[in-house]
Amino acid sequence: MTLQMQWSLLLPVLLPVAAMVLVLVVDAVAPRARLAAPVIGAFGLVGGAVTALPGLVATGPRLTLCTPAPDGRCLWDGGPLASTLQVAALLATLAVLALMSIRRAGVIEVVLLLASASGAAAVVASRDLGTWLITLELATLPVIALVAWRDRRAAAHGALTLLTTSLVSFGLLVLGTALWVTATGDPTLTGQSLAAAWEAPETRTLAGLATVVLLAGLAFKLSAVPFHAWTPTTLTSGPLPVSALLASASKLAAVGALVVVLAPYDAVVGGRPGPHVVVSALVVLTVASMLVGTVMALRQSEVVRLLAWSTVAQAGWILLPLTALTVAGRQAAAAYALVYAVASLVAFAAVRAVHGWRVEDGRELTAYRGLLRRDPVAGGTLALALLVLAGLPPGVIGLVAKVVALRPAVAAGLWPVALVAVVAAVLGIAVYVRWFAVLFGEPEAGAPARPRSRRASLAVAVVGAAVLVVTSVLPQLLVGLVS
Amino acid sequence: MLLVPGAVGLWLVTGGRALAPSTARLVALVAASVGGAAAVAATVMRPVVDRAWIPDLGVRWHFEVDGVSAPLVVLTAVIGVLVVAHAFVEQPWADAPGSGSAATYLGALLLVVAGALAAFSARDAVLFFLAFEVVLVPMWVLISRYGDRHGAAARADASARFILYTAVGSTLMLVGILLLVTRAGTADLGELPSAAAGLGLGEQTTIALLLTLGLAVKVPVFPLHTWLPAAHTTAPTAGSVLLAAVLLKLGTYGLVRLPIANVPDGFARIAPVLAIAGVVGILWGGLICLVERDLKRLIAFSSVAHMGFVVLALASGTETGLQAALIGNIAHGVISALLFVIVGGLKHRWGSVDLAVVRPALREVSPRLGFALILGLAAGLGLPGLAGFWGEFLALLAAWNPAHHTGILRTCAVIAAVGAALAAAYSLRVARVVWVGDAVPDDVAGDPDAAPSTPDARSVELAVMGVLGTAVVAIGVAPFLVLSVTADAVTALVGGGR
Repeated sequence: MTLQMQWSLLLPVLLPVAAMVLVLVVDAVAPRARLAAPVIGAFGLVGGAVTALPGLVATGPRLTLCTPAPDGRCLWDGGPLASTLQVAALLATLAVLALMSIRRAGVIEVVLLLASASGAAAVVASRDLGTWLITLELATLPVIALVAWRDRRAAAHGALTLLTTSLVSFGLLVLGTALWVTATGDPTLTGQSLAAAWEAPETRTLAGLATVVLLAGLAFKLSAVPFHAWTPTTLTSGPLPVSALLASASKLAAVGALVVVLAPYDAVVGGRPGPHVVVSALVVLTVASMLVGTVMALRQSEVVRLLAWSTVAQAGWILLPLTALTVAGRQAAAAYALVYAVASLVAFAAVRAVHGWRVEDGRELTAYRGLLRRDPVAGGTLALALLVLAGLPPGVIGLVAKVVALRPAVAAGLWPVALVAVVAAVLGIAVYVRWFAVLFGEPEAGAPARPRSRRASLAVAVVGAAVLVVTSVLPQLLVGLVS
Repeated sequence: MLLVPGAVGLWLVTGGRALAPSTARLVALVAASVGGAAAVAATVMRPVVDRAWIPDLGVRWHFEVDGVSAPLVVLTAVIGVLVVAHAFVEQPWADAPGSGSAATYLGALLLVVAGALAAFSARDAVLFFLAFEVVLVPMWVLISRYGDRHGAAARADASARFILYTAVGSTLMLVGILLLVTRAGTADLGELPSAAAGLGLGEQTTIALLLTLGLAVKVPVFPLHTWLPAAHTTAPTAGSVLLAAVLLKLGTYGLVRLPIANVPDGFARIAPVLAIAGVVGILWGGLICLVERDLKRLIAFSSVAHMGFVVLALASGTETGLQAALIGNIAHGVISALLFVIVGGLKHRWGSVDLAVVRPALREVSPRLGFALILGLAAGLGLPGLAGFWGEFLALLAAWNPAHHTGILRTCAVIAAVGAALAAAYSLRVARVVWVGDAVPDDVAGDPDAAPSTPDARSVELAVMGVLGTAVVAIGVAPFLVLSVTADAVTALVGGGR
């Protein structure tokens, strides 16, 4: 069987992989050149992102890895939605690399980051279950190593939690894949084969079951309730930049994977009987994540733990538009995930700028008292990120994202979910305003001193905040990307 | 019109924080004046701004002033200038060390004004919602950072209540707006009424219920009002004035704009409940005012009562009702602004405004303040010839001849009339305690420490009160100033959706 290939579409994935190989080679040849690894890594990520840029504006189909006609199936789609997620995931990884600080990031960290980034860039574009499954794991597994890659007891614990979770998740995904292939007899994720399977009652049940199992597996990656238990432990025990990676690039990869799996449902959603089982599974995940995540976040006083629970809550918001099972819903989910990824990166970068690179203790809310006056740059960017996460102007983009996310669900007539979202939005405001309020006021005498080397963290925070400001003024820039 | 206060406010909050108070004040005053002048010019010339903003959502950057919004835009513009000018009198940043800088305070004021102007002139439902949300954070800053210096806990509680209650309301409203917009297929407020006319009754009722419930929090309608007294009591004077004169109007304006204009049949079904809630608000507010000791809280509860009249007028569903609601809105804005300026001034002078504390009569120690207080109270109780009269009178008239549910609304009208009597009772009580005063024993009166001196209003404060007082009299004597502006738009609104 010959595959028709178009290399340029694969470059966003191939360049990070090439950079990874180059890093290893350079390390073997010249082990003393310590700066080489992060620099090559950064170039690989930027190059990958740049090659994905044409996909943002493309109007025609950008399919490749196609089997020959007549019943040609394409295994790779570099359309606007996938390209946007690719660019975002690669740039988020770049930001994480910057947070690790160029001088401290060793060869292993860079290689693991690049592996994870290429996995994330691949999974969002894949259209067949084999590529999808492998690249999804490629995006996830290196992160476990990154969490464990430091000699702290808590980090090992966090990594173990993540590893166990990932294994369960992998098992579920494999099971789901097998069920899908059994039901549809087709390893590619296409609407026609799903529609064909939906005709017969037996295969319909099987296809529904396959999707629910796949959703469960993905819910682990997205840290949606009830598959979220690893999130607070791992995010608080691992190094801060890796937590930022889990909250941004990994999240984008998971959303991309979810979008790929749900895309075939376009062919089924209007029919009779509709995919009720899939919708109800999504609704349960959405409602549980929103409520549990927000309520738990309300109780936290340690900032990273608060951000971890807020990740859980925001996973619910990302799932909310997907419950509609429409194109608009998938685009809305991607848009919301983008906004969330940028805002959470800014928040993590600001936290890192406040505490420096080794501080694990004293990340209490009280340490942020008067930050706006004490440290206007870190405080200001953090305040903006919190407002965006809460969805309050002047963080208009956060509010627009919430409008975007609610719209498909309301249009599909999913009342209870929209009302739960109202409750979650209000509680969410309480969560973030609690932190926001601390930033005002008089700095305390016992406040932590400003760490010295934090230029990279500040740069990430400022660039991210600039993105938030620009998209707040012109939300179309972001909303238009994914549609 | 929006750009100047908005941009300057934003700059003051972020970049200009280190600015000296006097410079910041001057900049803010100029910005507010320019913005206000532009707003007044916009109501006369009626320019239209309409450009695409988020095409994928169908949201347009569409501003236009029409008859319904024109009086409110002018009101907001005037109040905006006045509250910034008032910063020359009361300086919350100086009172409480560690609260925040003057520039942040003024910037927040300007942002609230800009957000309100944007909301009043927005002609796109989603844009209206966004503008509605803009005022939240600056107002929160005003309450939590510059509020009553006596209680940090009270400040935190009041500001959190304010933002959470309002967020509940606005998110419910958002769901309603999204439902309306997706069902009708357009977000343009001009096209929505005809586009939404084809919706079924059940759908209309759901939409109306969501919108009304959301906006009722902001108005506030009776059971949802509990955030208001706390916010008013703790906010600085300028914050209270903005809250009463501008933010509450966003609620009633939204009710006119969204449910009444777009889903009239659905609104008619829930109107009786709204009317009853309004009347309960009138009675409840009046009764609390009879026993409340804190003067600021008292005025806040009287706001609840006054807004009850406005809601009752809206629930009647007639042209007279809408007119009554609009003029009641403006009148309440002016009157409550006047009263809050006076009471804020008194609180500033006395340290508290507890009515139980024996103080020298206001008419003797500071006749100007006393006169303004009497004027405000008289207008508040609905004395003919002053602003408050027309809103209440027309509201009762409208409720007596409603478009539907005659029985319920007539009963409501009768009860509301009793509520108006309550207003007279509590206004006279306040007048007796504060204006007439108690006989202060000579030994206390002679001792300057025991009875804090009450200097009379001067310069800027006098000017602020003068403008508001003139407005109270002007609207009272010549209500057609407002009514003629709104008449055409109201006719179009009531007739347009059917």
